[in-house]
Amino acid sequence: MEASALTREQRDESFRRYVLPELDVLFRVALRLTGNRADAEDLVQDTVLRAFRAADRFDGRHPRAWLLTIMRNANINRLRKRQPDLVHDEERTFGTLPAGGADGRDGPQEVVMDQVPEQAVAEALRNLSEKFRDVVMLVDIDGLAYQEAADVLGVPIGTVMSRLHRARNRIRSHLERHGLVPRKPGS
Amino acid sequence: MNSTNSTRPDHLSCREVRRILQSFLDGELTPADAERVEEHLQACRRCGLDAETYRHVKQVVSGLRRDVDPEALERLETFVEDLAPPS
Repeated sequence: MEASALTREQRDESFRRYVLPELDVLFRVALRLTGNRADAEDLVQDTVLRAFRAADRFDGRHPRAWLLTIMRNANINRLRKRQPDLVHDEERTFGTLPAGGADGRDGPQEVVMDQVPEQAVAEALRNLSEKFRDVVMLVDIDGLAYQEAADVLGVPIGTVMSRLHRARNRIRSHLERHGLVPRKPGS
Repeated sequence: MNSTNSTRPDHLSCREVRRILQSFLDGELTPADAERVEEHLQACRRCGLDAETYRHVKQVVSGLRRDVDPEALERLETFVEDLAPPS
């Protein structure tokens, strides 16, 4: 989207085309990063604003990854403003959020699951360490690709893969103990 | 243990499939590799069952997803359109 090559209308149209479809995902991830709806909306707005200012430098490929990287930086900024002495620690990247899906309407209280398998899997998620849980939520609940999750968390893609796979094995074991999945052959 | 060993370079062994199975289920493999995994899963009962179990785990976890607050989404859409207005 080189400024010289496009009219303002074309630039605005491109921007809407790239950004509007990603708002749902951006909001979901912002909820994970902030732990509450108000901050999440602010974070998405901040992200969108930064993206708008940087749009001339965007090559049009991988809009979601581009926006998520911007969001990660915007969030680091947000945390530093609140706690200037904070050395960025990946452990504190995510705000507290129930292990269930986030919809922005429920507060920090537990989301009540009325189906046994959902209860069991929500419990399994709660039992995971934060690092593992974050990756599972981003990929399996929020629908991010491995690289996109890596961009949000600021870790290599291999780390995302290894944490995700180990987390799933733990969830699987938990569900096996509750008789909700068949035991692995030979186990 | 009945492992299907590679007898041809383009056929995957159980060990190789186990290593990339979850990436396969997440749609992260190249089409060529995905096809090789699919082929192995059709032929190998043990790996096929493994795949089914991981699919089930993934499905139950993704069942925790809830719709995002539509009003918040609408406000964000308005924000984008105010920044980059339609002509």
